[in-house]
Amino acid sequence: MKSNWQQIIGERKNAILEQWLQSALALFPEKMASGTPTGEALLEGMSMVLDNFDGNQESCGEGINCIARIFAVQPFRPSVALSLFPLLGELIGEKAPASADTEVLKARINAITFEAFDRFLENREKIYQLKVEETRSQLHMLLRSTVS
Amino acid sequence: MSKYAPRKAQLAREFLEKPTPLKGAQADREWWEMPVDFHDGNWCFPGKPETLKEIGFPNPRKWAATDEDWQLPDGWQKIIHDGLKERLKKFRSLKLYLDACVRCGACADKCHFFLGSGDPKNMPVIRAELLRSVYRNDFPMVEKILKGFSGSRKLTAEVIKEWHSYFYQCTECRRCSVFCPLGIDTAEITMVARELLNLIGVNNNWILAPVANCNRTGNHLGIEPHTFVQNIMSLVDDIEELTGITVNPTFNRKGAEILFITPSGDVFGDPGVYTMMGYLLLFHHIGLDYTISTYASEGGNFGLFTTNDMMKKLNAKMYHEAERLKVKWILGGECGHMWRVVHQYMATMNGPADFLEEPVSPITGTKFTNAAATKMVHIAEFTADLIKHGKLKLDPTRNNHLRTTFHDSCNVSRGMGMLEEPRFVLNAVCNSFNEMPENTIREKTFCCGSGSGINAEEFMEMRMRGGFPRANAVRTVKKQHQVNALVTICAIDRATLPPLMRYWNPGVAVYGLHELVGNALVMEGETPRTEDLRENPMAIADEGEDDDA
Repeated sequence: MKSNWQQIIGERKNAILEQWLQSALALFPEKMASGTPTGEALLEGMSMVLDNFDGNQESCGEGINCIARIFAVQPFRPSVALSLFPLLGELIGEKAPASADTEVLKARINAITFEAFDRFLENREKIYQLKVEETRSQLHMLLRSTVS
Repeated sequence: MSKYAPRKAQLAREFLEKPTPLKGAQADREWWEMPVDFHDGNWCFPGKPETLKEIGFPNPRKWAATDEDWQLPDGWQKIIHDGLKERLKKFRSLKLYLDACVRCGACADKCHFFLGSGDPKNMPVIRAELLRSVYRNDFPMVEKILKGFSGSRKLTAEVIKEWHSYFYQCTECRRCSVFCPLGIDTAEITMVARELLNLIGVNNNWILAPVANCNRTGNHLGIEPHTFVQNIMSLVDDIEELTGITVNPTFNRKGAEILFITPSGDVFGDPGVYTMMGYLLLFHHIGLDYTISTYASEGGNFGLFTTNDMMKKLNAKMYHEAERLKVKWILGGECGHMWRVVHQYMATMNGPADFLEEPVSPITGTKFTNAAATKMVHIAEFTADLIKHGKLKLDPTRNNHLRTTFHDSCNVSRGMGMLEEPRFVLNAVCNSFNEMPENTIREKTFCCGSGSGINAEEFMEMRMRGGFPRANAVRTVKKQHQVNALVTICAIDRATLPPLMRYWNPGVAVYGLHELVGNALVMEGETPRTEDLRENPMAIADEGEDDDA
């Protein structure tokens, strides 16, 4: 069954990708344009997720991280940013043949959403880490002489 | 046709209806009706009252951008109005820029903050409009009569909040001005807006604290002379351990030929200190007769981000010290905004420096005629000249562990047109130099996203957004050429690009150009080199790796 969803997505990839990307761009204040570096990076990440939806988990994870990293520094609520992943399930479901097993799709979308949640939090934590590291590096010489 | 080109029907509709920068939920509103929102990560802490008192800036108080009441002084509208009037008279460029814009939008998608945030008020045209709309309401007669048609509006406390938010989301990088058909320099509009805000005590601590430090001790970090010397001498010890060479910098030495001034980040911060080690090795290698001042101990000038007068005051110490020490000319280290101040303002602001000589390299005899007015030469130019004349013994294989790309610092590339010299030096000291995409380098370079005094920790999220276009270009060369070293010639970049890379491109480290020069220099009498200036192992055996872009 798993390979069916990869095939279903593959056959409809452009339409799904376009709708998914537009939904992501619409989250930005007054809609981010698709030709910007942010738009291009989102497209690349989303494409990776779709290409590896049920295949290479590492590449799929990389795509998820690419999306999560962009949203983790934007001013939306985490729930708004992460809503993109359940939305992906809806977009795929709408375009799938009636005979397709939607339970498998739901399970996969849940897994992707949870992974996105982890990545989003990791990136938020990274931001706080950077704040601390930056303060330390400004005092590099002072800390070096007092700590060592 | 590009896949991003707007459809014909869309163009016709927008023309017939009404062009608007707002395309989403606010599409039926005017841009100035969009609310201003302050939340964690999108505003910098304001100046501390004691800091303001120290430098005599107005309205010292405790406040925060998230407060409802910003405790503006009585009559603040008049203060802003009079301040703008005074500056319109003083700076003809400001009047020209405010009057000339035809709102063509050529600048709109050139700003890194707009590209990273999608916020329409970060389009340079609208950022300038924040001030221009008030100017139209109060100043030109015709516009006054046509109120309502001209996009004018009254100055309110909400407008002040909007100014504070968006004029501190501009890094004064001037990328927009490269694309403006009328040559409007939006950075100068930001500079004046920040001056006006400072008149009523609406400010930024990350800028004012360094200004106060610099005013007191001569450098942004507030390092006192003995500590300044101590730090440099500890770098001398590091050099000795790594190379076996004892370099001998001198301090406040009268009669030296050259006064060397660099940003204090090079003396105190990581990774700036490695660039400083590179300078010290270079000067020892060529036997330069130079001295370092503990009074003019800062190349940078955060006064540029506050007021014209403060910039002038902080800059003056360079010439005062050069005159006191009776040097012939000044050599300046790797910095961005320092060079905007030096190159564009210093000669007229604090010159003429008639007590100095037109700079001549004591090693090659080259006359730096381009520095005839300021008497101050950029280190990249100085080193490029040394290499061109074969005066340096270099082994570029010592940098074989680094696959580099070069970030043009905004103020050096767009502010003073220095594009080739750093590339010439970089090509001579390493074997792998890879250019980022053409529309992201040289005069079209993308800003680090944190310049002009907004590299505050509390502003990190916004900085990551603003720096994204630069990071994205680095990502391209990282993927294509396995780049692991981002080289730059700006101290602010050396402070701000490391977190940007750690977030967007883990595995890419940030280097100063002269750190790589220091790695590559073959010093007479040195012990065999196995580690670079960061004590990372060199990959000296890797030869024949040459994929220059």
